This record gives sequence, C-alpha cells and structure tokens, in this order.
Amino acid sequence: MSRFSLALRLLLRDGRSGELTILVLALIIAVTSSTAISLFADRLHRTMSTQAAEFLAADLAITSSTLIPPHWLKKAQSLGLKQARTAEFSTVLIENDELLLSGVKAVSSHYPLRGVLKTTQSDNYNEQIIKHQGPAKGEAWLEKRVLSALKLKLGDSLIVGEKSLTISQVLTYEPDKRGDLYSLSPRVMINDADLEATQVLKPGSHVHYFFQFSGSTDALDKFNRWVKPHLNVSQRLMDIHADRPELGSALTRAERYLGLSSIVVILIAGVAIAMSTRRYSERHFNATAILRCLGCKQSEILWLFLCQFLILGIASSALGSLFGWFAQETLFHLLRDLLPSKVANPSFIAVILGFLTGLFILLGFALPPLLRLKKVSPLRVLRRELAPLPTSAWLVYSLSLSLISLLIWQYTQDLKMTASIIGGGIISTLIAGIILYALLIQARRLLPFVSLSWRFGLQGLLKNPKMTVNQTLAFSITLVAMILSYTVRTDLLNDWQNQLPEQAPNYFVLNVFPTQVAPFKQTLRQHNIKNIDFFPVVRGRLVKINDIPVQKIVSKDSQGERATHRDLSLTWAKILPHDNKTVSGLWQPSVYGEVSVEHKLAKSLKIYLGDKLTFTIGSQQQHATVSHIRSVKWDTMKPNFYMVFSPMTLADYPSTYITSFYIAEENKNILNTLVKKYPSITVLEVDALLKQFKTILTQLTEAINYLLYFALLAGFTVLFAAVNSSLDSRVYEGALMRTLGANRALLRKAHFIEFSLLGLFSGLIAVLISELLLYAIYNYVLHLDYQLNGLLLIGLPLISTCCVSLAGFFAVKDVVNKSPMIIMREL
Amino acid sequence: MTKSQLNIIETENLGKTVPTSDGPLCILSSVTLTIKSAESIAIVGASGSGKSTLLSLLAGLDTPTEGLTKIKGKNITTMSEDGRAELRNQLVGFVFQSFQLLPSFTALENVMLPLELRGDKNAKASATKLLDRVGLSHRLTHTPMKLSGGEQQRVALARAFVTEPAILFADEPTGNLDSKTGEHIIDLLFELNQEKQTTLVLVTHDNALAARCQRTIKLEAGKML
Repeated sequence: MSRFSLALRLLLRDGRSGELTILVLALIIAVTSSTAISLFADRLHRTMSTQAAEFLAADLAITSSTLIPPHWLKKAQSLGLKQARTAEFSTVLIENDELLLSGVKAVSSHYPLRGVLKTTQSDNYNEQIIKHQGPAKGEAWLEKRVLSALKLKLGDSLIVGEKSLTISQVLTYEPDKRGDLYSLSPRVMINDADLEATQVLKPGSHVHYFFQFSGSTDALDKFNRWVKPHLNVSQRLMDIHADRPELGSALTRAERYLGLSSIVVILIAGVAIAMSTRRYSERHFNATAILRCLGCKQSEILWLFLCQFLILGIASSALGSLFGWFAQETLFHLLRDLLPSKVANPSFIAVILGFLTGLFILLGFALPPLLRLKKVSPLRVLRRELAPLPTSAWLVYSLSLSLISLLIWQYTQDLKMTASIIGGGIISTLIAGIILYALLIQARRLLPFVSLSWRFGLQGLLKNPKMTVNQTLAFSITLVAMILSYTVRTDLLNDWQNQLPEQAPNYFVLNVFPTQVAPFKQTLRQHNIKNIDFFPVVRGRLVKINDIPVQKIVSKDSQGERATHRDLSLTWAKILPHDNKTVSGLWQPSVYGEVSVEHKLAKSLKIYLGDKLTFTIGSQQQHATVSHIRSVKWDTMKPNFYMVFSPMTLADYPSTYITSFYIAEENKNILNTLVKKYPSITVLEVDALLKQFKTILTQLTEAINYLLYFALLAGFTVLFAAVNSSLDSRVYEGALMRTLGANRALLRKAHFIEFSLLGLFSGLIAVLISELLLYAIYNYVLHLDYQLNGLLLIGLPLISTCCVSLAGFFAVKDVVNKSPMIIMREL
Repeated sequence: MTKSQLNIIETENLGKTVPTSDGPLCILSSVTLTIKSAESIAIVGASGSGKSTLLSLLAGLDTPTEGLTKIKGKNITTMSEDGRAELRNQLVGFVFQSFQLLPSFTALENVMLPLELRGDKNAKASATKLLDRVGLSHRLTHTPMKLSGGEQQRVALARAFVTEPAILFADEPTGNLDSKTGEHIIDLLFELNQEKQTTLVLVTHDNALAARCQRTIKLEAGKML
C-alpha cells in the first residue's frame, strides 16, 4: 500500500473525529472571502470603469494633435470596436458685428459612444437627451452664451470659417468636457462632415483630435495593448484616474479598502489555522512516536502529514472558491438595482488566485506546527513527557510575517509603507507580549491572597505564561484585524458622506467678472442660496521650474506633463480651503510671490519647497516661490486648484471668478435668471457626475458592509480555535478536580475567571496595537484624518472579555456536565 | 527450526547520562552484554533502576552517551535516526505497557501498519491471519476504544509479530492488566515467540515473569549486577 493511501486514511479518520473542523472552516472562510473580494472588486472595477467611461464619452480614447494612421482604425474595427471621432479647435466667430472666440467641436457619427448629449430648443431648461448622434450635416448646436454673445437665435445661420450652418439646438450638456473647466471656450458643435467645408483647419492649425472606441473588455484590452507602443509624443491614451481625478480618487480608495479587507480576513484565518494546526500537531505526538517506532523515517512522517494537509487544502480551497463565486454573484444580485444592466463578467483568474491563496495561507500558517511532528522522538512511546522542541520561533514568525508583508505590499504598492505597518505591528506586539509576560509572572504573588475559584482561574493562565502570552497575542492580532476592518470601513463611509452631503454642489459657474461677484451673491441670497464661496481665477501656464524649462524636467505621459501643456487655473487666497491639508511648508498669504502647490502635481513635476516657478500669464511672466505643499480632496464637487498664490501676487492680473452651489431640481429656473442677468457666465451642470458618483459610492458601501461579515466569521473561528487549542489540558485537569470532589459551581467560576482574564488581556493589547496601526494606515494609505477612538478604548476590552469568556464557557461545558470517568477515558 | 545461535545484540560499556538542573544524572552505566539469536532475556530491577532506558538503547529508540550497541553486527549508535528507523522496521517488534495503538485505526489496520510501512502488498492477509491467531478475528473492525485492555494488548502482540521480527522488545507488557489477563497475554507472547523463533527482550519487575525467560539481567541504580 502506498504512503498516500495511509495519509488519506489518517486524514479521513481525523476528519471524522472532528479534529480538523476548525481548521477546515477557517480555510474555507479565508478562501471564500479572498475569492469573493477579488472577483467582486475586479468586476466592480471593470463595471465602474465602464460607467466612468461615460465621462470620456467612450471606453477608451486616444488624443492626438494629428489624424491617426488609418490602419489603427482598421485594427479597432477588426476587433469589433465601435468608433467615433471629435476634433476640437478654437476659432473666432463674427455675427451681427459681434466677435467671439469659441471652441468648435466637430463630431462624427455614433458620438458619444458613452454618455449622452443634452439640448434644448427653448429658453428654459427642459432638456432632451440625445444618444449616439450630434448635429446633422449643415446644422450647428450652440451653447446659450454663444447665442447671447452673437445675438443669435435658433434657426439663424452661423458661419464657421467658410461654411454656413443652421442653428438647430441649444447645447446644454456634453459628457466629455476636456481638461479643467476652463478649456471651455463657448461651445459650437458641428458635424464632422462639415469640417472640411469650413476650411478652418490648415497645415499647422492647432487642433485636438479625440479618437473614441467602445466594445467588449477583451477587445478593448487587446486594442489598448496593441496601440500603446505605436503612440508618438503628441498622442496618448486617456485615463480615468488622471482625467477624472475626483472619480479616480474614490475608486482608488475603495479598491485599497477592499484589498485591506482581504488581507484582514486572510490574517484572521491564518491565526485560526495556526492555532488549530498546533493543537492537531500536539494531539498527534503519540501516534507519530508509534509510527517512528514501527520504522517510519522523519522525512516520511513529514510527508504523511504534509500530504494530508495538501489534500485538505485542495479540497477546502476548491470549496472556498466555489462559495466565493456564489458570494459575489449574490452580492451583485443584491446590488442589481444600483448597477448598470451590463455588469462585467467574472474573471476565472480571480477564482484561481483565490484557490492558490488558500493553499498559500495553509502552508504558511500550518507548516511550522507540522514541522514539529518531524522531530517527535520514538522514545516518546516509553516516555510520554518527551515532547519535540517547538519549531524555531523565528521560522514560525518569519513565515507568517512574510506572507502578510507580501499581501500588504501588494495592496499599498509602497515598500516603505509596508515596512512601517509591519514594523509598527511587530514592535507593538513584542512590547505588549513582554509587558503581559512580566504581569503574569508577578501575578503569581496574588495566589495566596485570593479565593479558591480565583486561584484555579489564575493558575490556568499562570502555569505556562509563555503559552498564555502566545494565545493572548494570537487573539489580540485577530481583534486588531477586525478592528482595522471595521474602523476603516466606518470612517471611509463617513468621509464620503461628509464630502457628498445631500446638497453637495451640483452647478459650477465660471467667468463671473469681479464687479459681478457682489450682485451675483445677492441674487443667490434672494433665492436662498447662501454662504457661497467665490474663487478668483487667472489663466496661466507653468513654463519653468528654477529657471529650467519644464519640458526638460517632466516625465512623458505623466500628470505633470499634461499640466504643463495647457493653461492652469491659478487662484489666490488668504485662507486655504479647509479640506486642503498641509503636506509640507508654511502658508504665508501676506508675503508677495508665494505659491502653494498640490502635492501629487508637485511630485510629478519634481517641485520642492523653495523652488522658483515661472508662469506665463497673457504676455507677462510671473515668478513665485513654493512655500507650501498641500493635499487636495478632488472628490468634493467644489472648485479645487493645483496652484494657490498669496493674494498680492496675482491681484493685478485680469481675472474672473468661479463658484459652485446646490440648486434643487424644482428651482432650476433660477439659472435662467442668472444667465439672463449675467450673459457672460458659463453654467456647468454636474448633476449627472454627482448622481453617478453617489451611485458608485452606494455600491461600494454595500460591498464593504458585506465584506465585513467575512471578517466577523473568520474572527469567530479564531475565537473557537484559541479556546480549543488549550482545551485538552483544561478538560483533563477539570475532570481530575471533579474526581477529587470539586463541585460544578467552583469549576464554572474558575473557567469563567480564566477566560475573562484572557479576553480582557487580549482586548487591552488589541486596543494598543490597533490604535498604532490605524494611525499609520489612515495617514499613509488612505489619506484620511485619524482621531483616537474613545469608544474603542473602552468597548473593545469589554467585548473581548465577554466573547472569550462565553466561548470558553461553552467549550468546556463537558467538564462540568459529563462524568469525570468518561472524560478520563476519552482522553 | 532453530535459528543459528549468533550474537544478535551486543553492547560495550553502554551508558546514559542526562543533564538536570542539579547537574548530570547517570541513569545507566557500563552495561556490557551479549544476547544470542532466539534467546529470551528478562531485564529486571526496581522502579528507577534504568530498565526502560536500557531497553530503549538496545532497541535504538535512544542514543547512549557512552559506549555502543550493535544489532546483527551493525553499530546502531553511529547510525542516523532514519537508519535506526529502517532497522526497526526490518528487524524489531515492540510491545508496550500502554499498548500504543493508533486510536483512530481499527484492530486490523493497527496490525497492518508495520507491513504497510514496508510496502508489503499482502499486509491485510497477514494481519488478518495473525489477529485470528490471537483470537480476535471477530474484532477486526473495532477501534481500540471498543476493546478491553487485554484485547488491546493482543492486538499489540499481533502487530509486533506480523513482521516476523528478529527481535521483540516488550516493556512491562502486563503492567496495565489484571493478573489473569496478564497471564494469558504472557502465554500468548511466549507461544508466538516460540513459533517465530524471535529473540525476546522483556523488561519487567515481575520475578515470576522473568523466570519464564532463559536468562535474567538484573539492574540496580543503572548498573548491571
């Protein structure tokens, strides 16, 4: 008979006896959670990218200053991708003796591939939604202010270059507003077929082409991979994170949270697996000694048990992957009302990854205790007291730490941060362990002074202080993991709620002249729109950093490069917006020539404190010294700025003002009043963006809540594993005490005291470690503010005490209920 | 048929000292003996005299701190742990005071185990035959928990003899049994021993049992008398 059959038989017998229940449960939970999370996150990411693609008017877009080669389009066609093209350029329109610099957009058929256009044919805001088509040939759609500025009305002719077009609609919304709010000269939209007839574009004309594609994810991925190497310096693929930072920020943060949740569940499950395997290993010392006696070699012993665990791992991981699949399908079903009708298909690779994660966790956490079996001496058959030396603590901790470090690094993508989190965790755990050990040693002095039940309870913890410390730390780590998951989730959701309250601004107004600000505010107040901030804006372009042209500094295709290829909205302020947080430096608004820079742009442009920046504003050059670098919350629906100057620096330049405010659906006619009174203003509706944003956040909230349950489930397995791991000795001693005459009440009280103390110590240590780690995670990974949580400080030790004491009480109930003789025989 | 009366076990100045918190403790010292093939030897002595230690050194379960042990001319003291394991599988059988059966295996599976570890394809047939020999053919599928002490020891005897070992080590085989059951077990032990012509090394504090062996080695305070 082969060794494999022996291993299988041993496994089945142990399985039938319930030896492996907790271990299998922990592994299934870990794999289910890991598979569900990675499948869900992957599908949600791809679905949201599709939704977010509406703001690119496509799934994928290439921007270029020239026409792209026809064979690129043929390639896209061959992959089954739909295509559209827009061309944007500025031109001066002259009508009725009025001049206007406008932004013309020539659109092809099928535009927009994603999202919609909105137009109106009257003065009020009753819009119609138009999908996948722009103006017909010979027609033009104009923004309201073009009509106002050129004194035109619907039905009139508009001459663009050499071509006369009929104004058929008023354009109120287009999904793919480019760059920042100010790349919007007043819009004129024409049909692509009329472009040549305008004769505006000549060799050397400044025009932006946008080649848009939509289709299946596979086809898009293939085209993306194919086209990337072909792009030249003036071409790039548009990216939702860079081109829509407010959306990208929320997506990134949510994905990071989902990733952290996954790590948390894996960590908790790993602790349960380690504890269960330790008990399993110790329970097999005698059997191993017999096998050694009968001639089994050390390597064969290890193989026998590894084989069993591999079979267990494969079966549990397969089951966990299946459950994970169903779990994410269930979640998508629950969220069906919130999601688009077409959700991205599940990826088989995510299932495989979940399966492999299970094997990885099992080997990582189960191997050290199993290695101990290899060292069991055959002499144990004669001397029961002979136990193999524990596997080197360094090996045990190194393996587990390596696994966790790898996972954390994968999600933070920051080696320094991973090291900080792991380092902080290790140091705080070690300190806590040492303090607890010292406390336990000293607690022995209390024994003569306490009652019998307290003495028995305390002795349960004191007889082997090292084991008590290990058990306490294992449970503490579990609590820490669960706290991390819960606290981060809660604060993440609260943060989003705070950023997007019910009445978050849904309209932006630009191009308010300085003299109009006060009356504009007054008009708003009359309509009960109060406390609105106006921000001055000057358009300028960053040209030099420390007298070096920026093109020589920036990396190709970076955020910094894009920021230097266009005018930025420069503003000034005495007080920075309250949600702009200082990263470094000191904001000195009273000093002339100071500028505060957004930190991601600063990093991309390699800008540091003290650097001298040179801007071109109109025909003038303006210098400023970087005195302050700050973080900006892009997802707040308020005006945000890369560059904020000290007031005196830009005050002399011609400027306009920008603001944002909330208008309820039923009050939208206020906008008519504003536009009539201030015809130069541009009103941008961000309702669609906001609604979309809120929908995405709601989806994420549901997912995050759902995922927390996995962490809780895993936590419970650890609780039972922790209690079970030292159950045998407790049960034996209890049976002996009952044999000697101890009554049930005494035993129950002693057990309650022992487990309560265990729970209390675990809770206190968990509070210490979790506060340290939360601080690190909030500040460096999630970029949120963290404050000490009083509820956690008091609540966690109490909850921990209750849970552990109840679990322990339940686990040892046989000791007080069964006949001591039966228990002695079963042992 | 009688096996050749060669020396199957030899020791030279065998000794075992262990470190303790009070300094080194000498459990066994200067034991030099020879055991011939098919001989039956009783190792007797009071509790703590070093009997079990001597047995463990003779069987290769432990390594001495002084001296050496040879089994069939091979110095097992210098062998690796795996080398000794292989030797045990090939040459040695054991019977223990506390039976030492695998609790999750049936009687049949316990007896099959040493043959399975050798890769013997006829393990089941051999084990069934031997369990029948010890009178347990009706208990093949029962686990140790369902067997009495005597029955468990009979299973242990069957396991010890199923490989037809050259040497059988028995450590207080009746220590956990009542006297009547113990007598039956001993009778069975010696019957099987005679049938298989196995060298028997028996540790006991029972002088009556020791008298049934061909030779007695007495230990006192770790020394051979």
